[in-house]
Amino acid sequence: MSSEHVIKSFDEELRRLNNTITEMGGLAENQLATAIEAVVQRDSELAASVVETDAKVDQLQHDVDNLAVRLLALRQPLARDLREVFAAIKIASDLERICDYAANVAKRSIVLNQTAAARPVYALPRMARLAQLLVKDVIDAYVERDADKAYAVWMRDEELDEMYASLFRVLLTYMMEDPRNIGPSTHLLFMAKNIERIGDHATNIAEDLYFLVHGTPLVQKRPKGDDSSLESGQPRQVQA
Amino acid sequence: MSRASLATQTTAPPMPNRPNAAPGSRQKVQMRNVNFYYGAAHALKNVSLTLHDKTVTAFIGPSGCGKSTLLRILNRIYELYPGQRATGEVIVDNENILSPSLDLNLLRAKIGMVFQKPTPFPMSIHDNIAFGIRLYEKLSQSEIEERIESALHRAALWDEVKDKLKQSGLSLSGGQQQRLCIARAIAVKPEILLLDEPASALDPISTQRVEELIDELKSDYCIAIVTHNMQQAARVSNYTAFMYLGELVEFDETETIFTHPKERRTEDYITGRFG
Repeated sequence: MSSEHVIKSFDEELRRLNNTITEMGGLAENQLATAIEAVVQRDSELAASVVETDAKVDQLQHDVDNLAVRLLALRQPLARDLREVFAAIKIASDLERICDYAANVAKRSIVLNQTAAARPVYALPRMARLAQLLVKDVIDAYVERDADKAYAVWMRDEELDEMYASLFRVLLTYMMEDPRNIGPSTHLLFMAKNIERIGDHATNIAEDLYFLVHGTPLVQKRPKGDDSSLESGQPRQVQA
Repeated sequence: MSRASLATQTTAPPMPNRPNAAPGSRQKVQMRNVNFYYGAAHALKNVSLTLHDKTVTAFIGPSGCGKSTLLRILNRIYELYPGQRATGEVIVDNENILSPSLDLNLLRAKIGMVFQKPTPFPMSIHDNIAFGIRLYEKLSQSEIEERIESALHRAALWDEVKDKLKQSGLSLSGGQQQRLCIARAIAVKPEILLLDEPASALDPISTQRVEELIDELKSDYCIAIVTHNMQQAARVSNYTAFMYLGELVEFDETETIFTHPKERRTEDYITGRFG
C-alpha cells in the first residue's frame, strides 16, 4: 500500500483485510501440503485433520467478506483503495476454493487407503508441489503487490496443465490394463483434477492482483497445457 | 502545432466514442491557457480544457485550488471586484468571452450561476423568478406565468410551492431555497449552468433532489459543478477535472478519475491521502 490515509483507522482496516488474505493464503498452502502428505503416507488421520481445518478457512472468508462490506459501506473507497477491497473479496473466494480442493484430495485419500496402493500415485506429489508453489508465489506477489510476479504465476499454470494431461493418459492406460484399477484410478484422476483446478484458482488470483496494481485487466491469451478434455480413451488413429 | 492547441488536445478528451458522451454533444466552452490573478496572487495557471454541451463536468480539488475561480471566470463575475483579472481565451460558441467588448448582461443571461448558500431575493417566490425574466425579455404576463411554472417544474419545486407563490422566497427551507435559485437560473433560458457547491449546505434528501435535478437538466444544458463531495462528483458528472494549487492536474471521464486516475496527485486526493 502506498502512502497513508489522513484517516488512520482506514489504513488499519485495509491492513486487517490484507492480513486476513495473507493468513488464508498461508493456510491454503499448508492444507494442500498436508493433504498430499496424507496421500503419500497413506495416513487417514492426517487426511481427516485437513478436512477438519477446512472450516477455519470458511471462517476466514466470512471475515474477509465482513471487513470488505464494512469498508465499502463506511469508507466508500475509491481508485486503488476500491481495487484493494474488490481484489480481497475475489481472492478470498479463490483461496476458499483452493482449500476445498485440498480437502477433497484428503477425503479421497481416506477412501484410497482402503485399497492397495495404486502405482500412478507417485505423480500426484509432483503435481501438488507445483500447485503449492503457484499458490505460494501468488500470495507472495499479493503481499509485495508485485504484478510481475503474479504474471509469472499466471504463465506457469501451463506446466501444471501439462502434468495433469500426462497423468490422465497414464491413468487411462492403467485402467485399460486391468478393470480392478478403475476404482482407485478414478479417485486419483479426481484428485489430480482437483490439483489442476488449484492452479487455475492461483491464476485467477494473479489476474486479480494484476488488476489491483494496474487498474486494467490482464487481457492476453493464456497458454493451455491440457487437452485431456479432447481425449477419447481410444487408440489414436495413425495418419497414413 | 502551438502549445495552446497541444494543451487543449491532451487535457480535453475527444467526445465521440466515449461511453459517457451524450449523443450529439458538442464543444460548448473552450478555455485556452487561462490565467487568473487576485491582485498579485496567481490563482489559475495556464488552464486549458473543454466543456461539452449536454454534459456535466465536475471540478474537484482542495480548498484554494482554483475551482471556484474557474467558474467565476466563465461569467466574468470577478469583474465586480477590483484587482482581479483573467488572461487567455475562453471561447463560448466561437466568441471569446474575456473580450472587453462583450455585453456582460447578455453573457450572464446565457450563463446561469448557483452558489453554495441559497441566495433567494427578499421577495415572493413568484417574483424571485419573474425578476430575471423581465430583465432580459419582453413577455406578456401569461407568458411570464408560464415560464415561472415551467422553471419551477424543471427544478422539481412546483408541487411544493404552487399554492404559496406569493410567500417570501426566504420562507422556504434551505433545500427548497436552493432549488428556487436553480429555477431562477434556468427561467432565463441559459445555455450554461455553473453550480458552485450547490448542495453543500443541504441535508441528504435535499442533496439527492438537487442531484436528480442536475441529472435531468443535463439533457439541455452544459453544466459545470464545483463540489467538495467526491461521491457527488462521481454520481452526477460525465467528466471530472482535478485541480491543485491553481493547476489542472487531470481531466478525464469521471469513471476513469475515480477508478484508475493517471496522476499520482489525483489518486492521493480522491483516496484521502493528501498530507
